[in-house]
Amino acid sequence: MMRIQKHPILDRIQKGRQVTFSLDGKPMQGYEGEPIAAALLAAGVRVHRYTTKARQPRGIFCAIGRCTDCVMVVDGKPNVRTCVTPLKEGMRVQTQVGISAKKESDDHETI
Amino acid sequence: MKRYELIVIGAGPAGLSAAVEAANAGMSVAVFDENARPGGQLFKQIHKFFGSKEHQAKIRGFRIGQQLLKQAEEAGVEVHLNSVVMGIFDLGEITVQHGDGVCHYKGDSILIATGACENMVPFDGWTLPGVMGAGAAQTMMNLHGVQPGSRVLMVGSGNVGLVVSFQLLQGGVEVAAVIDAAPQIGGYGVHAAKLARIGVPFYLSHTIVKAEGTDHVTGAVIAQVDESFRPIAGTEKHLDVDTVCIAVGLSPMSQLARMAGCEMTEKGGAVPVVDEYGQTSIPGLFVAGDVGGIEEASSAMIGGRIAGAAAARRSGYLPEEEFREKASALKASLGQLHEGMFSPKNKGRRDLTVTDEGYLLSKTLLHHGYLSEEEVAGFPGAAPGKSAGIHPVIECTQNIPCNPCQDACRFGCIRVGDHMTALPAVAENARCVGCGMCVASCPGQAIFLVNDEEEAGTATVTLPYEFLPVPEKGAKGVALGRDGRVVCPAEVVEAKTAGFMDGTVLLTMRVPLEMSMKARFFKTGEGTK
Repeated sequence: MMRIQKHPILDRIQKGRQVTFSLDGKPMQGYEGEPIAAALLAAGVRVHRYTTKARQPRGIFCAIGRCTDCVMVVDGKPNVRTCVTPLKEGMRVQTQVGISAKKESDDHETI
Repeated sequence: MKRYELIVIGAGPAGLSAAVEAANAGMSVAVFDENARPGGQLFKQIHKFFGSKEHQAKIRGFRIGQQLLKQAEEAGVEVHLNSVVMGIFDLGEITVQHGDGVCHYKGDSILIATGACENMVPFDGWTLPGVMGAGAAQTMMNLHGVQPGSRVLMVGSGNVGLVVSFQLLQGGVEVAAVIDAAPQIGGYGVHAAKLARIGVPFYLSHTIVKAEGTDHVTGAVIAQVDESFRPIAGTEKHLDVDTVCIAVGLSPMSQLARMAGCEMTEKGGAVPVVDEYGQTSIPGLFVAGDVGGIEEASSAMIGGRIAGAAAARRSGYLPEEEFREKASALKASLGQLHEGMFSPKNKGRRDLTVTDEGYLLSKTLLHHGYLSEEEVAGFPGAAPGKSAGIHPVIECTQNIPCNPCQDACRFGCIRVGDHMTALPAVAENARCVGCGMCVASCPGQAIFLVNDEEEAGTATVTLPYEFLPVPEKGAKGVALGRDGRVVCPAEVVEAKTAGFMDGTVLLTMRVPLEMSMKARFFKTGEGTK
């Protein structure tokens, strides 16, 4: 997954200023105003949450705010649709497990 | 509670068109949309639209979106974003969620233009991250500039699957294959041909059996299906992909109409019953666009204008006679888009074997995504018998509503006729000057200029090119055939473009003389195999 630097039709896609946010405590870069999901995708992050009972991974599915597959814990609030929520400087984004945030020291294997 | 003469729900092509029409008639109009940006799906549509000049053919979807927004602003339409319409109640009242609050509004008339959402097909692994709607992939790359993956399997060969596959390639993403459970390609042949000549394989009568991976997609398994669409054991094939895009149709998002109590019917999903101007069983409640039945953006815009005008008549802003005149002109224009092999009445038909003119439809196009050389020669766009000098070769072989090529040629070489779905024909006495306007104007990228230079033993082929980097003059490489296979060495002799071509480059390559009717794409720097 990469950002498209130059597009044959769209040329350069307009972006806001570069901002820093965190994913599970790790610093990440993205562009202000783009959906959180776009910034994560550009960074190669595909798992947004694990389901409540079966702990199955979920990620971007509809990208227009309908399906709620991509929800995460954002600034402490669970079930935030990351595909339609604009990224802001300093946002604290956490992988959602069930309806809670993944513990920041955990990695995927221990879930 | 604020009152408007018309409330429009959804700021996509249908809703904005309706709003502009009604506001220009004098109504006070507010549009509510749940998204942060207006335009619906238009801003993701980077391809050139089909139709005629009055349908804004050969203009890219996102530019039509920009025009619509400008018209809405000039007409004084209020557009409320991040506003989710939660319900429609009696007497034209709606509730709208803005942030954490809910507000009431009242509309003398209300128009629902909430569009559609993507259908899904469940299979083993379908919930894995990396499996997404084709529209989701389109949103990520065309709106946000992020590739949805690096190698994609496209499930579904309708126009959405075909168009998004091409856009994935434009965004630098590989497309491993396009598959469809149906035995033939569902979308326009010209869209399929654009993919086939770049080398994207089609697997018809195939379904996805499994998306592999534990945390995200690391591969996919496809298999052939029998006549009842069941996978045939032993036909499985593994594809190395990290993304699976699903393009298996759309469903109308008609929940608000149902909730309001409209009489509903079935038309590719539940849709409200409407009169000829888009009014539902509830007086003053209109629908336009995909929510009333899945079509495409061009017809949604016309449908929106009709319903907007009907709302204006209802509130006394359009005299009956003026309304009827306007509505009948719009309906005639809509009617043109409703003709041809892919018209709503022919939806899903697989029994057509000949064009309206009686030409035999290409089976290789339907089954593999490209025309065979023999088949091309039989169509009127290939100008049989006329190969001296530079001339267009039009590989447009299905009756679709589209005619920009006819307008593009100032010398009258190309004729579609009054009937927009007719196949374009190259005139016998065509005086082609090689300007390439037809190549640039074809939304299906199906026109090539061929110039046989018999004395030199070479020929040039000019093709539409919409990728980066654009090969420079002198670049050496290979020509690919319609099926994407290397046919011969080729050298770029010219790469030209102009503002009005809007990103389409006319790439001219020199090939051996006998390859002029085989070479259809250029690839830099690869040896002939």
